[in-house]
Amino acid sequence: MDYSNPQIPEGINTSKEHPLKEFFLLTIGIFGTLAIALFILGVLADKLAHYLPYSIEQDAELFVTGTRDKDQPIVRYLQDLADKISAVQNLPEDMKIKIHYANDDVVNAYATLGGNVVLFRGLLEKIPNENALTMVMAHEIAHIKHRHPIRNFGSGVVIGLVATLISGSLGDNITGRAIGTTSAITSFSFSRDHETEADETAIQSVKAIYGHLAGASELFLIFKELEGLDLTPEILSTHPETESRLRLIKQQSSQNDNKTTPLPEEFQNWLYLQE
Amino acid sequence: MIDLIIFASLLALGYFFGRMAETRHYKSIIKREKALARIPVLATKIPDLSIKPQHTILVTGSVVISVDYFKRFLAGLRNIIGGRVKSYESLVDRARREAILRMKEQARVKGANLIFNVKLETSSISQGRGIGSVEVLAYGTAFID
Repeated sequence: MDYSNPQIPEGINTSKEHPLKEFFLLTIGIFGTLAIALFILGVLADKLAHYLPYSIEQDAELFVTGTRDKDQPIVRYLQDLADKISAVQNLPEDMKIKIHYANDDVVNAYATLGGNVVLFRGLLEKIPNENALTMVMAHEIAHIKHRHPIRNFGSGVVIGLVATLISGSLGDNITGRAIGTTSAITSFSFSRDHETEADETAIQSVKAIYGHLAGASELFLIFKELEGLDLTPEILSTHPETESRLRLIKQQSSQNDNKTTPLPEEFQNWLYLQE
Repeated sequence: MIDLIIFASLLALGYFFGRMAETRHYKSIIKREKALARIPVLATKIPDLSIKPQHTILVTGSVVISVDYFKRFLAGLRNIIGGRVKSYESLVDRARREAILRMKEQARVKGANLIFNVKLETSSISQGRGIGSVEVLAYGTAFID
C-alpha cells in the first residue's frame, strides 16, 4: 500500500485578513465606546458635584501647603488682591478665598477645595506687573467660583474608579494599561474645559478692575517660555494649548497702549518670608 | 505621556518584528514542507500489513514560539468581546507545522520513509502569566527499511 500526504492549501487555519485592520477596528470600537461611557459618567459626576453645598468643602479638613500668616506682607498683599477680585467676580457670601503663599521654587499656582488658593514663589518671581498677577489670581479664584475643584474631584473619582474596576476585573496588563490611558485622556478633557472657563472669567475680572487687558497675556508668555520644547499634544494635556489661551485674550482686548500697574516696590523682597 | 510613548513603541516593535518573523517563518515552512513531502505523516495506529519495516524508532520534534506584544494586545481585546483570536491562530499554526517538520527532519536523517501514529501535544508556557509562549510537540513512529 502506498501512503502519501496531500498538499493542504494555505489559509485554512489562519486568517488572510491584515492584522492592522483588526487592530484598528478593535481599538477604536472598544476604547471609543469606553471613552464615551466614561465621558458620560464624568459629565454626570461633574454636574452632580455642582449641587453639593459649598459648606461640605469648607468642613473638609484639608492640608494645604504654604503660609497664611497675616504678619507676612506678601500674604496681606495677596489676600487684599484676592478680596478685590472676589468682589468683582461676585462670589457668593460664604465663598471666602483663603490665600496661601508657599516659599518654594515651583512655578505654579493652584486652587483646591474649600476656597484655598496656593501661590508659589517660583511663579510670583516671574510676574512682571500687578495686571499679570491679577490674571493668575483671578484664574484660580474663577476655579473656586465655578466649583472646579470639587467637580474635578467628582469626575476624576468616578472615571478613575470605573476604569480601575474594568481593568482590574480583566486581569490583563496590556489591556489594563490601555484602559488607564483612555480614562486619563477622558479626564483631561474635563480639566481643559475648566481651564478655558476659568480663563474667560479671569479676563472679565481683569477688565473690570483695570478697564483693559494690558499685561494679562504676559502670564501666558511666561508659560510658553517654560513649555519650551514640550511637544505634548493638547489631547494628552490637562491644560489647553498656551497659543489658544493667548488668542482668547487677544480677542477680548481692544487696544494695546494701556499702561500696566506696577507691583509694590517691596514685592520681590516680600517673597522671601520675613523672620 | 511617556507611558503612552512606551506603550506605542512596544506595540510597534511587536507588530514589525512579529510580522517579519511570521512572514519569514511561513516561507521557510512552506519550502521545507515541499522538500520533506516524500515522508508521509500518518495518524493511523495500525499500518497496512504489507509494510514490513526492518525496524522502527521514535521520532520527535518540538518548538516553542513566543507571542509578541502586538498579538497579545489584540488577543486581550478579543478577550473582552469574543470571536476568533486571529492573532493567535497563525502562531499556533506555525508551531504545529514547525514541530511536524522537525520530527520529519529527524526521520529523514535516520533514513525513514514513513511516520506512523503521529500525535501532537500543545502546552502554554507559564499559563498566560508573564511570558506568553506556546510549545508544540510532535511525535510518532518512524519506519526504517
